[in-house]
Amino acid sequence: MTGPSYGALLDAVRGVHWQARRAVTSPIAGMHRSKLRGTSAEFTEYRLYRQGDDPRRIDWRLLGRSDRAYIRLATDRAIIPTMLVLDASASMAFPLANRAKWVRACEIAIALAAVVHADGDPIGVAVRDARGAERVVAPRTRRGVVSEIARVVDSAQPSGDDPLAPRLAALRAARIAVITDLLGDADEVLRAARVRMAAGNEVHLVHIVAREELDPPRRPMLAADPEQPTLQRLLVDSTRPAYENAFGEWRAEMARRWRAAGAAYIEVVTDEPAPHAVRRIVDAPGIGRSRP
Amino acid sequence: MSWLLPSALAIAAGASLVALALHFIARSRPFAESLPTARFIPQRPVRARARSIALSDILLLLIRIVAILAFGAAVAAPVFGAARGRVRRIILVDRSRDVGDDRETRDSARALGRVGDVIIAFDSAATRGGDASVLDSATKNDAAGSLSAAFAAALRAGSRLSSSSDSIELVLISPLAAEEFDAATRSIRDDWPGRIRFVSVRGAPGNERTPTVESATGQNDGVIAGLSLIGIMRPAGNVRIVRGQMTVADSAWARDSSHVVVHWPANDSSAGWQPRPTIDAIGGLASSTGTLIGRFPRAWTLSGAPIARWSDGEPAATEHSAGGGCIRDVGIVFDPASDITLRAPFRGFVARLLEPCGGARRTARADSALVATIVGTTRVTHLATAAALRDRPSETSPWTPWLLALGAAMLLVEMAVRKLDRAAA
Repeated sequence: MTGPSYGALLDAVRGVHWQARRAVTSPIAGMHRSKLRGTSAEFTEYRLYRQGDDPRRIDWRLLGRSDRAYIRLATDRAIIPTMLVLDASASMAFPLANRAKWVRACEIAIALAAVVHADGDPIGVAVRDARGAERVVAPRTRRGVVSEIARVVDSAQPSGDDPLAPRLAALRAARIAVITDLLGDADEVLRAARVRMAAGNEVHLVHIVAREELDPPRRPMLAADPEQPTLQRLLVDSTRPAYENAFGEWRAEMARRWRAAGAAYIEVVTDEPAPHAVRRIVDAPGIGRSRP
Repeated sequence: MSWLLPSALAIAAGASLVALALHFIARSRPFAESLPTARFIPQRPVRARARSIALSDILLLLIRIVAILAFGAAVAAPVFGAARGRVRRIILVDRSRDVGDDRETRDSARALGRVGDVIIAFDSAATRGGDASVLDSATKNDAAGSLSAAFAAALRAGSRLSSSSDSIELVLISPLAAEEFDAATRSIRDDWPGRIRFVSVRGAPGNERTPTVESATGQNDGVIAGLSLIGIMRPAGNVRIVRGQMTVADSAWARDSSHVVVHWPANDSSAGWQPRPTIDAIGGLASSTGTLIGRFPRAWTLSGAPIARWSDGEPAATEHSAGGGCIRDVGIVFDPASDITLRAPFRGFVARLLEPCGGARRTARADSALVATIVGTTRVTHLATAAALRDRPSETSPWTPWLLALGAAMLLVEMAVRKLDRAAA
């Protein structure tokens, strides 16, 4: 069962659809445009009969009128199995008081799962649980999978600095959404994403950024990286502009590199409501807007 | 209001200043806070100084200082209601055998005593009384006086009076006989942190005399030979040594005034005392005048007032009064072949056995140098202050638990404020 805290979120994303960016190749009928052209009711074009075609697909009326054998082609619709990869490293538990990054990431993951499930597509999730063990829910379409994903996500606790790239490389799904703050193995994750995209998969990167990272408290602080405790820097008035510039440039560089690689890149700041963020993710540039 | 341990307040004040200083020093290095994007901050030395102090820090500082001061005050233990400018007296009244006329000491005490003063009557022990009624029991007795016991009792009484007075005067009414001093008297007196007002009274006459010993036993006996070396053997003396069986004549002689019969059997068969179940050997014995080290058989169990003891504390010689004199039983048997009785330790040891009945009374007044060490005013001229006599470990303040609770509450508040501060960060 989905926890009651997610009820309003799921209501807010009801009716939202997440179209595949490009035609998919799945043989199972779904709502996304398929590369395969078969015998569905949606007629596309005629093609001359070639040896090997199924004779049952010959349009006999056209044969009678034109004395040529044509077969009917139709655009097939297929499903797109989707996996959500959730970064549960220590940096996601920021700010410590409310863990806004982690909360927002969980909400986005569950909302995307609900959207995908509503589209009839298989949905799964991969995340590290509180004991550090990898928890994977394989892509499924059955009823209750969203609740199962919510339970798995709720059982996870952000800690440590486990790399995300090996997890991404091991996944087998036509669409992969990575929800992370990119403060871990960002380069390796991009490299693994490129491999997935080269294999024909869709990759969406949801970059979670905390408002407090964009605008740290206006008081002197000794900032410590939670994933590298020895990394401590002094954030004072004199270093703040340089910090803001460096962080902004890094985010722009990340967006540029991911988009250049062919992925859909969306930055989500923690003060943005999750339903709004989900709508931006599914409407990301380059994603097909056609309805079934 | 006064404090049982004022130094604790000073320590608490010092700790507060340290806390204050640490707050300023600590703020020069900001607290490490989690920021996952810390890597984007340019590297600078972390010793950079902060330019401001947050309000929460001042609040924390105040809470911490209140907690420290509360704990310090709890340890210092405030006491309210102590009298100011009040002088109380402790009057030591001698009731020992060294006093010539006990009515004189009581009259002196009554003349000096006031309401609220403490009167302590002493001989070899001290009896404390809250008022002059103790004087009724301060009649002269046969016990020797002990100034050490009297001063020890005065110190205890002074500690009790310290909470209700500012100064305490110690008054000593005594003849200050020589026998009232012992090795500890000087050091115990030095513990009294003020002068002593001395009221001299007439002392009792002493009974000291030179013993002369007569005995029917010949010079071949070891004990008699030893005594002969001292030069006190006479045909007729005031001490008779009986080395065989006691006779009726010996008992009758002892009843005469000041006669001492020392029944000192030379062997087991000469005594009618209760024999011990087993005769054992023991390595030494002591009297108030000397010690003998050797190996002696112990054949009897003696009864009476002990005047010499074996090394394990069992009486080796006892005294019984007989009319005007007394009979002393001495259960010490020397090896006839031993020369121990001819040596100096024997002469020291045996002196106690030859003293007058009841022991020698050195009731003569102690020499002036000795007296000056006790009641002289060359070193201490002021009254003892209550603060100096205060027995702090035994005193308590009713405010201490409340102050401790306040300090603990402040620590809890400090924890809560710190947590809120961190959450807000």
